[in-house]
Amino acid sequence: MAKQQSREQGITLRGSADIVAEFFSYGINSILYQRGIYPPETFTRAQQYGLTLLVTADPELQRYLCSVVDQLKDWLYKCSVQRLVVVISSIESNEVLERWQFDIECDKTAKDESAPRDKSQKAIQDEIRSVIRQITATVTFLPLLETSCAFDLLIYTDKDLVVPEKWEESGPQFIANSEEVRLRSFTTTIHKVNSIVAYKKDSFP
Amino acid sequence: MWHDGNEWELSKENVQPLRQGRVMSTLQEALAQQDASSHTAIQQQKQEFESEIRFYSGDDPLDVWDRYIKWTEQTFPQGGKESNLSAVLERAVKALHEQHRYYQDLRYLSLWLKFGNCCSEPLDLYSYLHSQEIGTSLALFYVTWAEELEARGNYKKADLIFQEGIQRKADPLDKLQSHHRQFQARVSRHIIQGLEEESNDEEEFSLPGLAEPQRSSLADLKGKGKKTMKAPISRVGDALKGHSILNQSSQQMSNGPNFAVFDENTASASGTEFPVLTPQPWAALPAARAKENELRAGPWNSGRRPRSNMNCGAEVPCVLPAFTPYVEESAQQQVITPCKIEPSINFVLSVRKPGKEEDPLQRVQNHQQDTEDKKEVVMYCKEKVYAGVEEFSLEEIRAEIYRKKAKKRREEEFWAIAQKKEEMQKKIKELERMLRDTRDNQQQRTHEQVTLLFSFSGEGYLLSQRPTVPFSIFDESSASISQNVSCPLGLPQKSVHRPLAVRKPSESTTSKESTPPEACNELNGIEPLIEDAILTGSYKNKTLCANPEDTCDFVRAAHLASTPFHGVGLQRIQTPTDPESLLKKECPESKNMCLSQQIPACEGTYSEALCIKKLSPIMEASQEDACSSGSSVSSRSSISSVTQISTIKYLHIPEKLELIQSLPVEMASDPRDDSTNLLWTTEKCKKLLNPLPELLTTSPDFYLETGPMPLMELEKEIELGNEIYSIKREYWTNEDDKMFFAVLANSAQLGAKGFAIKVYFQPAPWDFYITLQLQERLNTDFDQSFSENCSCFLYQDGCVVLHRKINCYTLSDVIQSCKTIGEEVIMLVAYNLLDLVEKLHKAEIVHGHLRPEVLFLGDRLCGLFGNSEITNALKIVDFSHSLDLRLQPKVSLLSFPMGQTQHGQQILAKCDLPCHVDLISIADIVHLMMFGEHLHVYQENSLWKINQNLSKSVESDFWSKFFGKILNADGKSTALTLRELREEMSGMFDASFQERLHYSFYHLGEFALPLV
Repeated sequence: MAKQQSREQGITLRGSADIVAEFFSYGINSILYQRGIYPPETFTRAQQYGLTLLVTADPELQRYLCSVVDQLKDWLYKCSVQRLVVVISSIESNEVLERWQFDIECDKTAKDESAPRDKSQKAIQDEIRSVIRQITATVTFLPLLETSCAFDLLIYTDKDLVVPEKWEESGPQFIANSEEVRLRSFTTTIHKVNSIVAYKKDSFP
Repeated sequence: MWHDGNEWELSKENVQPLRQGRVMSTLQEALAQQDASSHTAIQQQKQEFESEIRFYSGDDPLDVWDRYIKWTEQTFPQGGKESNLSAVLERAVKALHEQHRYYQDLRYLSLWLKFGNCCSEPLDLYSYLHSQEIGTSLALFYVTWAEELEARGNYKKADLIFQEGIQRKADPLDKLQSHHRQFQARVSRHIIQGLEEESNDEEEFSLPGLAEPQRSSLADLKGKGKKTMKAPISRVGDALKGHSILNQSSQQMSNGPNFAVFDENTASASGTEFPVLTPQPWAALPAARAKENELRAGPWNSGRRPRSNMNCGAEVPCVLPAFTPYVEESAQQQVITPCKIEPSINFVLSVRKPGKEEDPLQRVQNHQQDTEDKKEVVMYCKEKVYAGVEEFSLEEIRAEIYRKKAKKRREEEFWAIAQKKEEMQKKIKELERMLRDTRDNQQQRTHEQVTLLFSFSGEGYLLSQRPTVPFSIFDESSASISQNVSCPLGLPQKSVHRPLAVRKPSESTTSKESTPPEACNELNGIEPLIEDAILTGSYKNKTLCANPEDTCDFVRAAHLASTPFHGVGLQRIQTPTDPESLLKKECPESKNMCLSQQIPACEGTYSEALCIKKLSPIMEASQEDACSSGSSVSSRSSISSVTQISTIKYLHIPEKLELIQSLPVEMASDPRDDSTNLLWTTEKCKKLLNPLPELLTTSPDFYLETGPMPLMELEKEIELGNEIYSIKREYWTNEDDKMFFAVLANSAQLGAKGFAIKVYFQPAPWDFYITLQLQERLNTDFDQSFSENCSCFLYQDGCVVLHRKINCYTLSDVIQSCKTIGEEVIMLVAYNLLDLVEKLHKAEIVHGHLRPEVLFLGDRLCGLFGNSEITNALKIVDFSHSLDLRLQPKVSLLSFPMGQTQHGQQILAKCDLPCHVDLISIADIVHLMMFGEHLHVYQENSLWKINQNLSKSVESDFWSKFFGKILNADGKSTALTLRELREEMSGMFDASFQERLHYSFYHLGEFALPLV
């Protein structure tokens, strides 16, 4: 789906946006699979970052994700995106149960530079792999999602951005009384992604 | 690349998923510690929980277990043997099994459900819970049960469970219903798919795709299998269900019969074939605990097909009703134990197999059985030793108890100190205020001489009008006299100094008079230090008034002065005794001379005393030195003539001094004559009649002993009658009498009940006389409020009255140890007090000096919290100041101790019946309990009112009426007033009052009475 940067020498802004968008595509898919938002049978395997990842085979979901990622890629390129949040909430009560937050730091100077940054694609992929691995490993501490859940994607952008069609403004959808766990981060030197997962702190001792 | 803090990522397979998730910090810690050899922190925490379980004193033991289990889950992410979770759960459900109040508690249910995951057959556990009515009102129970059944494919039963839950309106019902709806949706989808597949099957029957059905059946087995497929289920339940359904859908070629049969069932049976779910007795034994690596006999090995009441051959055994698995189990057991298994739970015990590990559930049931018909009595604190999961040694338990006690003691001390501090501050403020007042006065009359000392007592005004001459004369004379006496006799220098030191301040103050403001300033400057210094005891051994210029010592001394320092209101004039008695003691041979010489001094002091009714701190301090008795009870009347006083004075000088000459005739050994000596007013003495001794001597409890009275002191053992008593506590001691608490010396037990021993230093058992009179006059009304079982031992030089079955504590203990006393308790005490005094007055006895110390707690109050059938909350045995109205109808009211107090003087000045003394005492006691301080009154429209604001109390209307009536009972019969009040109160003792009373008792119960 996402075109890979073939250039080995360095990272350009466009290439970086592609890499990050691709990461989100796989990352969101992984979360949806891991947290059981969609039935596992609707996922198919895909080899990426040296890992076997599961991506959705549901055409509608694919379309939706595609549109989001494309939009995101555009914003990434413009360096106007600050954060992407995957909100998982209960369908019944609308209560937010989990909140996967990816903070994106854009190096805006890259917009003016023409020279590519010096970081090998392999190094970036290694970093991304470890983030994805961590997403998989969160089952160790995340609470069981007992009700059927839906997900929502929030993107924090710069204020001056025009809200495109099909998008609407939304609140942050925080979880009251939550426990936060910081995951790994990766950087393409132009975009840096920090990940945090927040979950409901229910009846901990 | 992996840095610290990401262990969780590496050991995700070693972390068991938890329904409620995990705390990251705990998880990190736990995982980091995995390889560390010492788990001390965890062990410590565990130990803490273990000991909390044993020594929990609150009313929610489940909370401790709940926290313990949650902690265990969090701390041992990999579960396993180390965590001991299953054992903890087992112990928890066992321990709380008797607590029926928890049966519908969500926390308790979740303990059970967690425990169910440790059992081999959760379904058994669910039906067990159902039969025991545990959690049957909670939706969670039905949801969990139905899910388990659904996971095993028993949709019918699952539906039944849901329906039962809905029928029972399990809480929260909406959640249960939504679960039910989802369940129904899943099932119907399932059925539709089944039908589709069936038709597909029929259509494609000829297809050679037989590999598909085989795989399906394999998958089926696996999915429904026991332990292997559990992990995914418990991780993402919803997803798994979807998975299985979608699996089916993806495997379009699956084998038909499964669904066909199922469908038939639903069509034909639809509830009729299935018995309605009823709480049945727990019929059979559950299977042995499922353990890893344990060879498990498969159901096929037995050669018996599991029975099933539905005719669905293709349904795997898991679909069967919950109880069937046991058939096989019991069959095996029969080989080992020939004992027949009774189907009833009550005989589960008999099938316990030796050597084989039981299912935890079974153990729980056994335990329950055990407790039900337990015959042996454990003679050690078994429940403490085995309460938690780990075994505690007796030493550990003892240590814990000790630690607790020590902690409590520390807290108590701290509290007492704080209270003392507060009290002192209050007093200091009061004194300061007075000082200021007097200073104003002084400034008006600077030409007159005033002593600072007396100005402290608030009497400076009076004194200031007198010329200084008496003081200087007194000082000099007492000094010179004692010197005169001592020199020829070689009296130690020290004793000479003491009286001097005592009087010195008056000298010093005379020198200071000219500059009182400075003195005040000085005092003010020092005051803040005072309390600390006293508390830390740094003043303990300091000579008072070492520096005559330092008046601050007096203020300190005032606070050092022992218990009865009730502020300025209650004052005594006992000083004069001290120099005398001191002298007496030290030079018995010269008594005549001493006496004759002392008398003028006494006159001197008494002329002073006439004007001063206040305590001067020095006096009390010196009294302690003189060891003649530093105490509280009787305050001398300063109204009587000097000679009378002086005679009384000498009565208090210890007997060995044999001061017969100085005493009036009554001092003879015949009790008939001097039974009245003890009474503290001479009027009484005269009026007492002769028949007394007959009444006394004919009493079976009266013993005439030859020889002198044994010395009675705290911590000593004394022999009375044929018993030896060891004295444990001293309530009060003064020159007339002492009150002790004692227990039988040979009984090691320190019960709260024991003996109250009243010691008179005169051979006149007034208490005993009054008690006998009461018994005679009250007849049936003479009850537990009085000493029913007392003996009197009359010695040559004193007598002892022994009261049996007395609680160790008095009302003053309660007042001192409780910050606030529940209003219900006050009500109860007031009620009993009214009742008691009413009886006394009916018997024409006036107690004369009711105060918290003389009111022993009755069984109602002391057995705390006991039953409401015992009505007497108070017991009175001391009648030192009592008045028998039949003998002495008229006495000066001011001669009662009450007459010495501020409020007493105010009120008594206007009335004449001695009975009123008791009424005011009642008011004072109630006031003391309510506000922690003595009565302060004022007059408004010729009615006495109390200064305190009653509006804060719950029954403020009642209390204001109470005080109003009791303080303004002029002319009316006191017995009548008391009865009216009492009847009014009894109207308030309704059912809710009892409840509140118990609550108050409960709070009162937390106060720790000093153990004897």
